[in-house]
Amino acid sequence: MASFTSIAPPRSHESLPPAPARRKFRDSPRLILIGIGALTALLVAMLAVSARTTRFTPDLLTEFVLYALSATDLTMLAALLFLLARNIIKLVVERRRALPFARFRGRLVALLLGMTLVPAILVLIVGSELIRTNIDRWFNAPLDEVLSSANQIAGDYYHERQLLVGDHAGRIASTLSSVELAGADTGALRERLAPELLLHGVQRLAVYRVGPDTGSASMLEPVVDVSASELPAGDRTAAERLAAEAIGGLSDARAIETLGPSGDLLHAAAVIRSPDGRPIGAVVATDYVAGEFAVRSRRMTQAFEGYNQLRVLQRPLTGTYLSFFLMVTLLILIGATWTGSYLAKRITRPVVVLSAAAREIGAGRLDQRIEPQSDDEFGALVEAFNAMAGELAASRRKLERSTLEIERKHLEVEKRRRYVETILERIATGVVSVDTSGAITTINTAASRLLSLPRSIVGHSARAVFDRADLRALGALIAGADRPALEPSLQEIAIPREGQELRLAVVATALIGDSGATEGVVLVFDDVTPLIRAQKVAAWREVARRLAHEIKNPLTPIQLSAGRLRRHFQAAPAADKTLVDECTETIVGEVESLKGLVDEFSQFARMPSPKTVPTDLGQLISETVALYNGIFADVRIEQRFAPGLPLVRLDAEQIRRVIINLVDNAIEAINRRGTIVLEAQLDAANSIVRVIVADDGPGIPPAEREKLFLPYYSTKGRGSGLGLAIVRRIIAEHGGSIEVGDNLPHGTRFTIELPC
Amino acid sequence: MKTRIALLLLAAGVAVAAQAPQVLVTPIVRDGQVVVSFDLGVGLSPDLRDAIQSGLATTFSYDVDLRRATTTWFDRTIASVTVTASVRFDNLTRQYQLSRTVDGRAGATRATEDEDAVRRWLTEFERVPLAATSVLEANGEYYVRVRARTRPRNAWFLWPWDRGAILGRAAFTFVQ
Repeated sequence: MASFTSIAPPRSHESLPPAPARRKFRDSPRLILIGIGALTALLVAMLAVSARTTRFTPDLLTEFVLYALSATDLTMLAALLFLLARNIIKLVVERRRALPFARFRGRLVALLLGMTLVPAILVLIVGSELIRTNIDRWFNAPLDEVLSSANQIAGDYYHERQLLVGDHAGRIASTLSSVELAGADTGALRERLAPELLLHGVQRLAVYRVGPDTGSASMLEPVVDVSASELPAGDRTAAERLAAEAIGGLSDARAIETLGPSGDLLHAAAVIRSPDGRPIGAVVATDYVAGEFAVRSRRMTQAFEGYNQLRVLQRPLTGTYLSFFLMVTLLILIGATWTGSYLAKRITRPVVVLSAAAREIGAGRLDQRIEPQSDDEFGALVEAFNAMAGELAASRRKLERSTLEIERKHLEVEKRRRYVETILERIATGVVSVDTSGAITTINTAASRLLSLPRSIVGHSARAVFDRADLRALGALIAGADRPALEPSLQEIAIPREGQELRLAVVATALIGDSGATEGVVLVFDDVTPLIRAQKVAAWREVARRLAHEIKNPLTPIQLSAGRLRRHFQAAPAADKTLVDECTETIVGEVESLKGLVDEFSQFARMPSPKTVPTDLGQLISETVALYNGIFADVRIEQRFAPGLPLVRLDAEQIRRVIINLVDNAIEAINRRGTIVLEAQLDAANSIVRVIVADDGPGIPPAEREKLFLPYYSTKGRGSGLGLAIVRRIIAEHGGSIEVGDNLPHGTRFTIELPC
Repeated sequence: MKTRIALLLLAAGVAVAAQAPQVLVTPIVRDGQVVVSFDLGVGLSPDLRDAIQSGLATTFSYDVDLRRATTTWFDRTIASVTVTASVRFDNLTRQYQLSRTVDGRAGATRATEDEDAVRRWLTEFERVPLAATSVLEANGEYYVRVRARTRPRNAWFLWPWDRGAILGRAAFTFVQ
């Protein structure tokens, strides 16, 4: 059977049950075999001991063997109960914790236990009954009668021989009552006793007399001792002791002296009394039971005693055998239970280890390996598992490297995309892209602002979005751009925007992919309105400069000539003089007007660059507006300045001129009756300051708004028409812009934006 | 005889259940010694007689303890002695061989054919020395406990341990 050990690397936190640890005994087949051998040897030893129990006394059987067997039985019963309880508890716990193969283990243990339990209990019951029946059969009536009779015969024989010897001793003691033992002739006495040996079968006669101290048996003195020649030498002290006991008053003083294989000596003592009844001595008669007969008699008695002892100890002996049988049965059950548990673990353990390792790998710990410890099928399975884990780990490393590379490239692409996106968002050029399906995929901030389209149109159909009236020209460009045969060309398109004309330089280009297929259209456009305006202003400045140069030069000769004519005709008649004066005055006046006009043109053409310094715009406006105080009674000028206006770098004189120009225009527009509002606002997000001059006059038609800022355009029918042109130029020189629009509910609204 | 007079007050109580056989215990203080006489008070049962007649060496063992009761802990044993009386019947000669030991030391032996003498030999003991009075405290409450067991026992299957030791007990106050 294979055994496995997980060689997973150490983990800081365990979410899975650890692989079962190796146990020294259970995982060593050699130790298990040694243990089984030791148990078998113990059983054999117990059988051998039980086979030799005849050498022990039944007492020892009851006292020692029964205690030992009972203690062993109880211990094994407790061990069996413990094993069963432990297995059941473990099974319940494992099933509650949903550990793998818990059910299989339980079934295997139950199966082995069931397969063993039923036959073992049957054998126990049948065997116990057999033992009980056989032991009962030991004690049957015929055997009892035979043994009892044999013992009775032997005992009666000995008893009768003892009685006979006692009778002889008594008779001889009676005959010796008249003999003075103290001074008796031992030779005559021996001759007197010798016929007793021949006639009455007594093998020995010993006569003792009481010594001077009659109160002590130890003072018995041997008088004569007559023995048959074939009588074995016995222990003479036994005869002396018996004589002393007889003298001491023991009735029926008899004793049996066993000589072993030589036979038994039957002693009997009788007291020799004087005619007055005083004990003066004792006679000990001895009979001899020959060796063979004595041994057989002793055997018969021993057989009887052994039989009786077995009968007396029948219950403990039965208990001993039953205990031994029960012990073997319990041993079998314990072995079956333990073997079942052991086999279940041995079978399931490699699979449990594999399962745990598979879950570890499933959890992402691909370094998990199992140490193969066998060459069988499980070992091959473990090797395959380890190979699979290794390949998984290698694949994962490759995948991780690829993922890192992809992530790096993705980051680069993303960075590049953000870079391009940032550029698109920051540039003033509008960009709109449309994919092949006609959906808008990109619109940058500039495009959204220039076309007044929300950014949320991304994903909408370009056809629908550019179907708006002011955007149809762009829609046509997009529709025509997806023909790759056409080279993209720059086109200028005018879009009406809030009453003005927004001029865009537009290029529509088809996006051609690497495969040559069209992937969409990109529309790129720039607001060229300021550029066109600047070009117009530059043209007008050139016109003004040449006009001033060409006109101003002849004016002085004209003026001087008019003066000369006037002086020449001073002396002319009054009518002529009056006519000349009027004509020359008109000439001079008109020349002066032309000079003023030329000066304004010159100023427009040679306007100096602004000298900007940080200026409080609100204060500048207030000071400028203060110039109008009390001049126009029906004009109310309101000032609204947002709090926290920063200082703005500007040329105060030029801006003051701008404000005066706009306020003058407003007063004219409201026909000197109404309200003019001057506002200053901060747009911190775009870092600009807005100055708004609004009136509640009749307003300016949208068609004329763009022309307002052109030189020589005036709605007043007088003046040079350079005021708003100069205003726009000043504002442009400050890096700002000026727009005109409608004021709600009516009137005109000029909006100046200055950077701050 | 020492001038010291020992007065023995026998406590009448014997703490064994009335229906069970019990050992009659009589402690006596004499000549500086506590001696105990005790009698098993029952005859030989048929089972025991059969065991003896079968030739089994049968032994009566008596554990005699001089103890003093304590209220907070187990009673304290002052002195103890183990006395055994054994009999073995020879079916050939039909004589009983009797012997006694005191604390394992061999004592008296005799042979008899009288069964009543056997019973007395096994169950009646006179003046067994237990302890010197020097170990006793004056006016102390003591008791002598005797536990009698027989061997061999006719034990039960699976539980051979002795369940029926015969007990006897007598209390006395040692007064000087």
